[in-house]
Amino acid sequence: MRRFIALSLPVLLLACGGGGDGANRRTLVDARDNYDPRSLDPALSTDVPTGRVVGYLFDGLTRFTPDASVVPGLATSWDVSPDGSVYTFHLRRGVRFTDGTPFVARQVLTSWQRVLDPSVRGGRGWPLYPIKGAKEYADGKATSIAGMAAPNDSTVVVTLKEPFAIFPKLLAMPVASIAPDKVPANFGEAPVGTGPWKLVEWKHDDYLLFAPNREYWGGAPKADSLKARIISEPSTAVAEFQSGNVDVLQVPQGEIRDWQEDAERRKLLAPTPSLELVYVAINTTRGPLKDVRVRQALNYAVDRRIILRNLIAGSGDLAAGVIPFHLPGSDRTRIGYAFDTTRARQLLREAGYPNGVDLELWTSANPIYVRIAETLQGYLQLSGIRVKLIQRESAAAREAARKGQTDLFVKDWYADYPDAENFLYPLLHSANKGVGGNVSYYSNPQFDSLVSASRREQDETKRVAMYRQADEIAFRDAPMIYLYFYSELTAIQPWIRGFVPPVIFNAQPWTNVTTTAASPGPRTAGASTSTPPGTMPATPTPAPASTGAHP
Amino acid sequence: MSAFILRRLLLSIPTLVGVLVVAFLLLFVAPGDPVMAMVGERADEATIARLRQELRLDDPLYVQFGHYVAGIAKGDLGRSYITNRPIRKDILERFPKTLQLAGAAMLLATVCGVTLGVLSAWRPGGFIDRFGLGIAYLGISFPVYWVGLLLILLFAVTLHWLPPSGFGGVRYLILPALALGMRSIAFLARMTRSAMLDALGADYVRTARAKGVREGLVVGRHALRNALIPIITVLGLDFGAYLTGSILTETIFSWPGLGRYVVNAIARRDLPAIQGSVLFLSAVFVLVNLLTDIAYAKADPRVTYA
Repeated sequence: MRRFIALSLPVLLLACGGGGDGANRRTLVDARDNYDPRSLDPALSTDVPTGRVVGYLFDGLTRFTPDASVVPGLATSWDVSPDGSVYTFHLRRGVRFTDGTPFVARQVLTSWQRVLDPSVRGGRGWPLYPIKGAKEYADGKATSIAGMAAPNDSTVVVTLKEPFAIFPKLLAMPVASIAPDKVPANFGEAPVGTGPWKLVEWKHDDYLLFAPNREYWGGAPKADSLKARIISEPSTAVAEFQSGNVDVLQVPQGEIRDWQEDAERRKLLAPTPSLELVYVAINTTRGPLKDVRVRQALNYAVDRRIILRNLIAGSGDLAAGVIPFHLPGSDRTRIGYAFDTTRARQLLREAGYPNGVDLELWTSANPIYVRIAETLQGYLQLSGIRVKLIQRESAAAREAARKGQTDLFVKDWYADYPDAENFLYPLLHSANKGVGGNVSYYSNPQFDSLVSASRREQDETKRVAMYRQADEIAFRDAPMIYLYFYSELTAIQPWIRGFVPPVIFNAQPWTNVTTTAASPGPRTAGASTSTPPGTMPATPTPAPASTGAHP
Repeated sequence: MSAFILRRLLLSIPTLVGVLVVAFLLLFVAPGDPVMAMVGERADEATIARLRQELRLDDPLYVQFGHYVAGIAKGDLGRSYITNRPIRKDILERFPKTLQLAGAAMLLATVCGVTLGVLSAWRPGGFIDRFGLGIAYLGISFPVYWVGLLLILLFAVTLHWLPPSGFGGVRYLILPALALGMRSIAFLARMTRSAMLDALGADYVRTARAKGVREGLVVGRHALRNALIPIITVLGLDFGAYLTGSILTETIFSWPGLGRYVVNAIARRDLPAIQGSVLFLSAVFVLVNLLTDIAYAKADPRVTYA
């Protein structure tokens, strides 16, 4: 047995050489993704990790800036017909895909066709449905898309079913990105785009490594490489950040207070008004919940301030409406439902439930939402609303809510594009009941017609006024318990320059991000550079070749 | 012996067929629709219907099962609903990593566990015995999740000796192997100790000592060899369990193995991926059990499989 010990000693000693290599890395490392992207094919981009990576590799006709405005992408400009239903996009000239293929208008048509083609199995055609004939094509009722044409190599003309003023915003979604017109069967693994980065390798469930596209039309990325690590356990991501191995971290919701109270760590935080609404969907078609007074009582029965302050350390804003305060159409002056059990009981009595009501409150297994559900249960009890908690794994809970089987369901909604329409229409318009996103099964003709009209309205001031009015109507109808808009906390290492946490997930391409240690020099593994002031003392450590951190 | 192995291999076929049927049927009973998981938060009924059609989910169950079995007969586990990648490729990419972690954990467990057990039995009640008992208590009662995080905090964040997580060389393997193997170290130490105590009290050990055999040989050859059967049993069971993917360990240490793959597949209702993994892992388990039985015969000449 002594031999074993003797053998294992050198291994242990070997293993103990050097740890976090911190500021000496020239690779930018992102730790925000907690599961592997679905694919790198834009047509399959239905989740956040996929969308983020698609944003590195591809471009759309438009794109978002980190603060969520829409700017030209592969289209340099666009004209809109006076009635708002025909868009003429003028495409950027001289752009090439990373395999050398020139970018031409035809590829816009083929890319969008792939998104809508059922055999590609993407499942997210709706951003393109405003195009005339797109839905028919997706449903197999047409063999081509009537509303798209490429009169020459640098022009795309899109005819919409009806005017839709925010259409250019939808084109900045990852799913609308432009791919070459001929894609191989393994495109999802070997993508070719026009974006700022090129894929070097993808180790599933481990990391994705990117190299700069030196010919990028928008200016090549400044860093040598970018690595997106897939870390499924939030505490592990924090440990990696503390060890200096990753540059950008999403602070886990459960740890916000620790970070805020630690003087050193607080300096690294960058709060972002993420476009995320956390709420409890009230199914307005079930039992006592059909009565608006009962739904209002639910809102009065809950102290949302305490929930926001104690459960997520105040990282957010109390919601009074569904439109986040960062977006036009929100109303900061609207007064939310205040915690008032007397009022809640009185409303219940008026609705004919003097002895209270019995409801089921559904939640996924997300620890924060479980805690919120438990807290809600306690509050509601105070007003005589007896709630039975039902916790299901998230896919199962969501499915039940979509089928209308839940009374109350704790959930969230992230914006796909930064516009109030992305909250009002999917969450509350009666056209989207169930799978469309309206799991409140809310239906109010006045609200519906206002939102539908706002989608057609070309004048931004008028449109925003309509958003505000629609939000107000729904707020009085209380199809949900309005909780809060979550503010995401991003932690950024002190040696990182130029990283602005994006308001919308696919809006930070890392092109202007550098490490302060990124001075020109040999790019061999373990090349030591001087330690900049204010960074962690970093020992020059030969990185293990197998990690692929230094290409 | 070869006849035994052949018979066992043949017998494993009905087992695997049973697994196939159960894995297939269970998923249709379990809540959660794969298409709902595919389309994300916002969709429409027509898209869902088209996807169901595309994935043949509306075919009668026996037709779907027929397709599935026909595919497997050709060695094709199908393609993932979510990623469109072939399941076989996914599994073959991840299994070696799971194998590496399981192997390292077992090696660690065998070396530490058996050593600790032998030394404890050699001087029962002595310092090493009491130390071993302490280790065993800790190993069995601490949840792997907690130990994993503590190891990361100590060796990676505080001491900077090892990387917190990820996949790579030996440096990346040590912490997860320790977290995973800890329970086995504890079990093996106790199991070895009691088996060794029995063996050391046996007549042939007294005889061996009486005829002047060196103590090392007495313990190592006469006693340990006789104590091996329960040790092999524990090793076989644990190894089988580790090979089927150590979900928690892989999650905490961001280890890109099969355990995380299966968890992701379940979360996304990726039926072909779940079925393929379950089938593959069952085959692995059956194989490990067979190897354990063969190891019995090697360790103890009295065990024969004529």
